[in-house]
Amino acid sequence: MSNQRISIKGTSSGLIINIGSGVWQGLIEELDDKLADKASFFKGGRVALRVGPRQLTRPQIESVGQILKRHNVTLWAVEGEAPGTQEAAAQLGLETQLAPAKPQNLTPDAPQTGNALLIRRTLRSGQVVHHPGHIVIVGDVNPGAEVKAGGSVVVWGRLRGSVFAGADAGIGEKAVICALQLSPMQLRIADKIARSPADDDSQEPGAEMASIQNGQIVAEPWNG
Amino acid sequence: MSATVITITSGKGGVGKTTTTANLSAALAAQGKKVVAIDADIGLRNLDVVMGLENRIVYDLVDVVEGTCRLRQAMIKDKRLQDLYLIPAAQSRDKTSVTPGDMIELTNQMRDEFDYILIDSPAGIEQGFKNAVAPADRVLVVTTPEVSAVRDADRIIGLIEAEEKGPGDLVVNRLRMDMVRRGDMLDTSDVIDILAINLIGVVPDDENIIVSTNQGRPVVMSNGSTAGQAFRNIASRLNGQNVPFIELKEESSFIKKISNFFRA
Repeated sequence: MSNQRISIKGTSSGLIINIGSGVWQGLIEELDDKLADKASFFKGGRVALRVGPRQLTRPQIESVGQILKRHNVTLWAVEGEAPGTQEAAAQLGLETQLAPAKPQNLTPDAPQTGNALLIRRTLRSGQVVHHPGHIVIVGDVNPGAEVKAGGSVVVWGRLRGSVFAGADAGIGEKAVICALQLSPMQLRIADKIARSPADDDSQEPGAEMASIQNGQIVAEPWNG
Repeated sequence: MSATVITITSGKGGVGKTTTTANLSAALAAQGKKVVAIDADIGLRNLDVVMGLENRIVYDLVDVVEGTCRLRQAMIKDKRLQDLYLIPAAQSRDKTSVTPGDMIELTNQMRDEFDYILIDSPAGIEQGFKNAVAPADRVLVVTTPEVSAVRDADRIIGLIEAEEKGPGDLVVNRLRMDMVRRGDMLDTSDVIDILAINLIGVVPDDENIIVSTNQGRPVVMSNGSTAGQAFRNIASRLNGQNVPFIELKEESSFIKKISNFFRA
């Protein structure tokens, strides 16, 4: 009955709950007990979860969120090494990095490079990914899938779904959308919207980059 | 003997899930396997009709789950083939009468006795689909070469991946080569291009299917139809055999008539 499997620390980023190895069900019960022990301390606060290499699914993260909520604690971030964990957290609209919640010295020209989400699979119809930073997808974005990024979106594959880049006002029109094959349903950069041309026979094969030029979205061959 | 549980699903309705389930069950049984087909489309049962076993239903899936009858009592034996059984869906209940846990338990009870347990999933992505997929070892995704069906198949594959049931294997149903040739229908390669999963079979559009469905006699039980051959090939592939895909030819009705004339 080691208590080391769950540890709670205060850091410059706020309270962090470290989840070590062990059976997931046992761990969350232990977490529940710990929170109950120190209910008054946690009440009304917000915490981040650090899970290490453990792969967490979306329902698992949701269940932790619910336990925390029961104790009046808000979950704002899940930091994990597994790409699946990051992805699940991002889908729930949680931060995936414990870096300062409000990055200070950020200029629109140099968006925070560490704050990109890497997705290593194909996004299928109905799947939605939202992330406040940049998004890199190694795989396709299929028709019916939706990607929304504060910054830019790079697709190492075929882009056939809908992408919204530059949702963050700080980056806005400086965001770009790149894909090895750019044949999207719809592209949005900041407040500009472009639909794919109805006849895509003229589609040139090869990588393209879409950006805002003179107030409209333009796609050009992507030569790096 | 430990059964492989195969769920047949599609997202969109009307693409041929039930026809595929009936034919694969019959084809596997004809290849000497012991097979049970389960209709998970509670409230809209069809599999019994397509398999021609409707008039023998006494108990159904919900009766088993609720303990009204024993499992064995709900299993209808097909008299045309040795070792083919059906567990029909309830007609007067809905999808919430059964849980994913019930389906896992039910299939586990049968695993020792059968080689294959095939589950016919309802259309949609709600509870009925979740019930059907929960016990699956393999999932077959059926689609037709239409943009809307492919879109739904893509959605379903995403959900199957999320359940960690693998991306599944693809059956392209009702392909019409004459329309593909004219550029009026997606070709198999176009479908694969989007879905990017393993293709396990291509079934041509075939009038015999409608006749056989109405008669309650799966096409694989008779010789002479290309659709039947395509389903038999899928069954062989499920059995681990390496069967080449049939070369689908367009058969215009005119040529067909002439060849039938000479044959007659």
